[in-house]
Amino acid sequence: MQNTDVIMNIGSNSVENHPVSAKWLHKAHDKGAKWMVVDPRYTRTAEQADIYCPIRSGTDIAFYGGLYKYIIDNLIEPGLAEYTRTGKNPDNYNFEYLINYTNASYILMEEFDFDPETGLFSGWDAEKETYDAHSWHYETDHEEPWDTSESGTYAWSVKPGVPAFDKPVLTVPKKDATLQHERCVYQKFKEHYSRYDMDTVCRVCGMDKEDLELVYSTWATSCAPGKAGTILYALGQTQHTYGAQNTRSMSVLQLLSGNIGVPGGGVCALRGEPNVQGATDMGMLVNEQPAYLKWSNTTDRDTLAHWLSSQTYSDGYYTNKPKFMISQLKEWYGENATVENDYGYDWWPKVPSHDGSDWSEMSSFEKMKEGTMKGYYAWGMNPCHSAPNSGNVRRSMANCDWVVVVDQVITETASFWDAPDMNAEEIGTTCYFLPCALIYEKPGTILNSGRWIQWRQQAVEPWDEAKPDYEICDLLWKEICRLYKEEGGANPDPILKMKWDYYVDGKIDPRPVAWALNGYKLEGSDWSQGFESNADGATLAKGSINLLPGYAKLEADGSTACGMWIYSGFYANNDAPLSAESQPVYKRNNVDTSGLGLYSDWAYAWPNNRRVIYNRASADLQGQPWAEDKALVKWDLNEKKWVTGYKAGMDIPDFAATKALPDGTTQQIEPNNKAFFMLWEQNGRLESYGMVDGPLPEHYEPFETPLSENLLNGRLNSPCYLGRPDDEGKKGLGTKYSDESTRRATADEFPYVATTYSVTEHWQTGAQTRACPALVEAMPGDMIELSPALAKEKGIQTGDKIRVWNRRASVVVTAVVTPRIRPLTVNGKTQHLVGMTHHYSWSKLFGLTTHGAVNDLTPNVGDPNSQTPEYKAFLVNIEKTTV
Amino acid sequence: MTEMAILFDSSRCTGCRGCQVACKCWNDLPSEPTAENPYDSVNWDGKFTHPADLNSCTRLIMTFEDFEDERSQKRVGWAFGRRACQHCTNAGCVNMCPAGALYKDEETGMVTYDQDKCIGCQNCSAACPYDVPRYEDRGGKTVINKCSGCVDRIAQGMMPACVTTCQPGALQFGTREEMIALANERLQLLRDRGYEDACIYGENEMDGLHVIQVLKHGMKPHGAVENPQIPPAAFLSGIMKPVTAVGAGATVLGLAAMFGLAAGYKRDTLVYNDGNGDTISLETGEVTKQGNGPDERTVMEAITENLPIGKKGGDDHE
Amino acid sequence: MELSRRSFFKAAGAAFATSMAFEFMQPSPALAVESSSEWKLVNTEEYTNICCYCAGGCGSLCSVRDGELINLEGDPDHPINQGGLCPKGATMFQLRNVVNPETHEIEKSKVRQTKPLVRRPFSKKWEPITWEQAIQEIARKTKETRDAGFVETEEVKGKTLTVNRCESIASLGGSQQNSEEEYLILKMMRALGIVAIDNQARV
Repeated sequence: MQNTDVIMNIGSNSVENHPVSAKWLHKAHDKGAKWMVVDPRYTRTAEQADIYCPIRSGTDIAFYGGLYKYIIDNLIEPGLAEYTRTGKNPDNYNFEYLINYTNASYILMEEFDFDPETGLFSGWDAEKETYDAHSWHYETDHEEPWDTSESGTYAWSVKPGVPAFDKPVLTVPKKDATLQHERCVYQKFKEHYSRYDMDTVCRVCGMDKEDLELVYSTWATSCAPGKAGTILYALGQTQHTYGAQNTRSMSVLQLLSGNIGVPGGGVCALRGEPNVQGATDMGMLVNEQPAYLKWSNTTDRDTLAHWLSSQTYSDGYYTNKPKFMISQLKEWYGENATVENDYGYDWWPKVPSHDGSDWSEMSSFEKMKEGTMKGYYAWGMNPCHSAPNSGNVRRSMANCDWVVVVDQVITETASFWDAPDMNAEEIGTTCYFLPCALIYEKPGTILNSGRWIQWRQQAVEPWDEAKPDYEICDLLWKEICRLYKEEGGANPDPILKMKWDYYVDGKIDPRPVAWALNGYKLEGSDWSQGFESNADGATLAKGSINLLPGYAKLEADGSTACGMWIYSGFYANNDAPLSAESQPVYKRNNVDTSGLGLYSDWAYAWPNNRRVIYNRASADLQGQPWAEDKALVKWDLNEKKWVTGYKAGMDIPDFAATKALPDGTTQQIEPNNKAFFMLWEQNGRLESYGMVDGPLPEHYEPFETPLSENLLNGRLNSPCYLGRPDDEGKKGLGTKYSDESTRRATADEFPYVATTYSVTEHWQTGAQTRACPALVEAMPGDMIELSPALAKEKGIQTGDKIRVWNRRASVVVTAVVTPRIRPLTVNGKTQHLVGMTHHYSWSKLFGLTTHGAVNDLTPNVGDPNSQTPEYKAFLVNIEKTTV
Repeated sequence: MTEMAILFDSSRCTGCRGCQVACKCWNDLPSEPTAENPYDSVNWDGKFTHPADLNSCTRLIMTFEDFEDERSQKRVGWAFGRRACQHCTNAGCVNMCPAGALYKDEETGMVTYDQDKCIGCQNCSAACPYDVPRYEDRGGKTVINKCSGCVDRIAQGMMPACVTTCQPGALQFGTREEMIALANERLQLLRDRGYEDACIYGENEMDGLHVIQVLKHGMKPHGAVENPQIPPAAFLSGIMKPVTAVGAGATVLGLAAMFGLAAGYKRDTLVYNDGNGDTISLETGEVTKQGNGPDERTVMEAITENLPIGKKGGDDHE
Repeated sequence: MELSRRSFFKAAGAAFATSMAFEFMQPSPALAVESSSEWKLVNTEEYTNICCYCAGGCGSLCSVRDGELINLEGDPDHPINQGGLCPKGATMFQLRNVVNPETHEIEKSKVRQTKPLVRRPFSKKWEPITWEQAIQEIARKTKETRDAGFVETEEVKGKTLTVNRCESIASLGGSQQNSEEEYLILKMMRALGIVAIDNQARV
């Protein structure tokens, strides 16, 4: 962040909710960077910034679309012909990046289309209300099959032990580097956003045109070669029925601006939970498995062979997926995994993907309501307070037979039966509360937003009977295994064949788990005989452990085990496997050789200790940095080799910089255009066929909107939004809700646009921060922030108690009347916005309230790609009340 | 001794209150609520500044003031202020303290104290132009509680707890000279960014504070006291409290107290004649006539008539 | 005045961390001050940890004396936060211990729950339960619920698929745990056949 020239906070109040970001943003700001905040309210972040631009919640894509058009009209179109002629970048725009590192030049299929009248892309199935993405693909120039011959690149894929699968074929797309072909991505893109002129954007989003133009023109300065702009976003972007398209919009903007892979560029996803990065890496999600591989399902991943052929990319780094997959299965099932039994693949549960059903958080509660889901584990998560329409969640959970909550305090989820709106005497659920250790009461690793893996030392023992989660998990696992071993039951094999060898001296221990995540060669790894100290005082396995130095050593033939290929290398020191402090993960050299804040010798960043991913894009086609003072990698023109690594003050290359030759030597790969090697095209996608709800971001209104029509196209809501009230037909994706509370509300009844957010003093549902007296004292309650104009209309003053209600619930919070919220003019009419924090509720911590939790008001609808709920834009009504 | 100072740069402050709570954690200070009184969060008054002021267990608070600002593109401003001891060079509280509990740290010039020596007379409160000292009950004894300057940490080569925790770098600690130089750099940068009202506070106030502030929106929104003076009311409350203690109307000739006059602080010993209300300086012999009779109000008026507007008399201790 | 800064080298476990802490406790030559017995951190050992709130990854130092946490503040050597902590991070101490306003003594947090509890059907209150009993009951219920809701094979488009799926249990959460714990939770839940696995990343 410190290297940027333009900062844009949009959907992120970073200095409040990711306070350490302020330190680094100030560094850039002091060096002269412009700081802009686009947000429905003037936040503590906006106070730091130079420019503030208000925006109506839920209209980000309109804003981005207008910015694309601004860049096209003012930077690309005026210079494209000259660039095509000379091949030389002008001062104000990086054509070399756009044309070589993105798919702007790729030709799309003839059927590709968007109809502004209906607001739909080609491929729409009106029966099912879903898209078929076929027409969003590229036109193929020619095909290149894998070379699996003995000297070929893919010889490994036919070795003994590697399961048979259909090898992918590279379909080389047709391109037009002049960007003039009428069906090239750039032309389609230009046409698509021609509707997003500034006047229309202002009518949709509600800001003044001068403000918008100032933001656009300031951002445009980051498009110059050698300049960088960074976007900071958080849940303000993702928590929408088109949240994934919002995030794609930012990636697209950064590709268009030449800002990805560049120091001070990028799209900074500011992640809200301490180890949400870890949990995402870990694939603790319905359709994921560890390390961004996809979980098995009932369609294209129903067998191992199908998984391998559907998931393995035809080109780029993900051609190696079979190595990651087989190594992972070996870690799960150990010697029970063999090539003959598909390495145990069939023991994995298959997620239903053939029937459009959804198994994510929101839908889980609906399944409880329906009575099919009867047991529920909550590991440090508090949905009875945090899930949208949380009143509905509580009513649903009352149908469970049992609930297990592992936490530090009695959360609203643990005590849902005790909520003011519940009657315990009617609730037959058995609830267990298991007390867990605090973060400094146990050892282990955690990841941050920058993918740094860091080790936490245990400082003290847990109080009383609290235990680390790993110990709780182990106790349960052993007991469940015992029951199945002794009594049998529904297919016990997936349980009893599972490898669970994470013990040191008979006690469950996170360090052997770290070995499993890092990966090891099976040959030479055996710690079943315990450990002993050697002459140097290091504790070693009596057998041995053969930790791998990195994922390049993984094999698809069953000879390596690795739970998490992307982490491989983080815990690789075989000289002291029981000393986390001797591992790369605990590196503590804070000397920054790069001058860019990479700190590459501190902790370990996945993958392979790279600090900036896609760093190839920081240099031009010849491998020369766009800006000398922002060099991450560099091709030495004289030595003909890449200059990389910590000692050279550079990053680890995130591209194919060298090639291993059969004789064991490595060969330098000359600079090319393959800047994004985690994609098969190896170019960034301005247009993508990978989304459920459209190949280009298009503006739709939130589920609950103050408008009766979409001002940009003929469809009000996203055609694919997830989780529909069943009074709106049974079509579309996800769960169909039956509860009255899920019905859509309209603006005549509920005229105010509401959004929710956190304050810096509290964190999520407050299960931790409401246990800290100093924090409750500093910010003692939830608020509704509203403008002086609306307050006057309603006779409200700061400190008044306000009833806020909609179809779902009614809650009472404290009014904060502030000029930091201002009414917007949307489609010619005054639109009031209100903002609410969501930290307090009835559980018996400090600052308890019996007047409802704010998430009782938020709608349980969400994004079809990410299943993320729409917390950030919904409708309410308000009135002054007393308590 | 090297004069040290805390720099508060409001233009880097994000109003996160890390300093406010870090102060509590380092100094083992309790908070409302408590386990016995968790209270209902809906009773909050809607004010960001919370607690509303310093109190017996709060030595530092952040203040918040938002306002419309038509001069700025942003059209609104939000000033974060830091309210705590300013560590005056001309420290009325130190001079007023009859027990020697308050003193200036020899290494740094910070105004610190020894709770064991405090007799709870609260004279320091009356002498403070910033209304800082508060009092807490320690085992049945009333003792002062205010920012100690973290001289314990400084002596160990660490920075004050509030400074250490400040992530955006709004708080810094170093020699007073360095902090003033830094403040001037920041002031220039803020002026260049168009903050016309930006100013520095603490360079000369009270003969120089050991808290230097860069105030982005000018003094008022950040809660700074303009032209601070030791409140002449200090003389009264400092004197009258013991008077009250021994009973109204009692002659208190011989009662001595430390007090100061206006900005140019004079260390002085005062004698108060309850008979006619005059005060006499024992060092200079100067008699201040307070009128004809023993009218307490007259005495008060005589002393306070030249008071700068807006000064608090330190009458709201907890 | 020169403010002392430590360099914290690759430590080999608690013993080494202790010796480093000891070094830190020596008065810096520039200041030549003595650690008085009243010094809050006298005779403490330091352990490094990472904040439990946003995903910034700020480092913290936990000072421990006689097995008890004495202080927690930002790690001055950590390149991300360089000693700083936000209000939430700065109060992590209070997750465990708080100051009693009456006695001014530091005592165990009363709102933290440190023993297992059970709430029986239709009951209005929590009851204590032993770990052993809780684990036995939960494992039993998990098995019963799994066995009742288990789908081993399924017909999809005319093909019989092995699906090994437990549709009757959900598992939520994971962003609060350490990665090793996430992995164990995930393995256990997937082994049971659970597909309704989700965590805070979803929202």
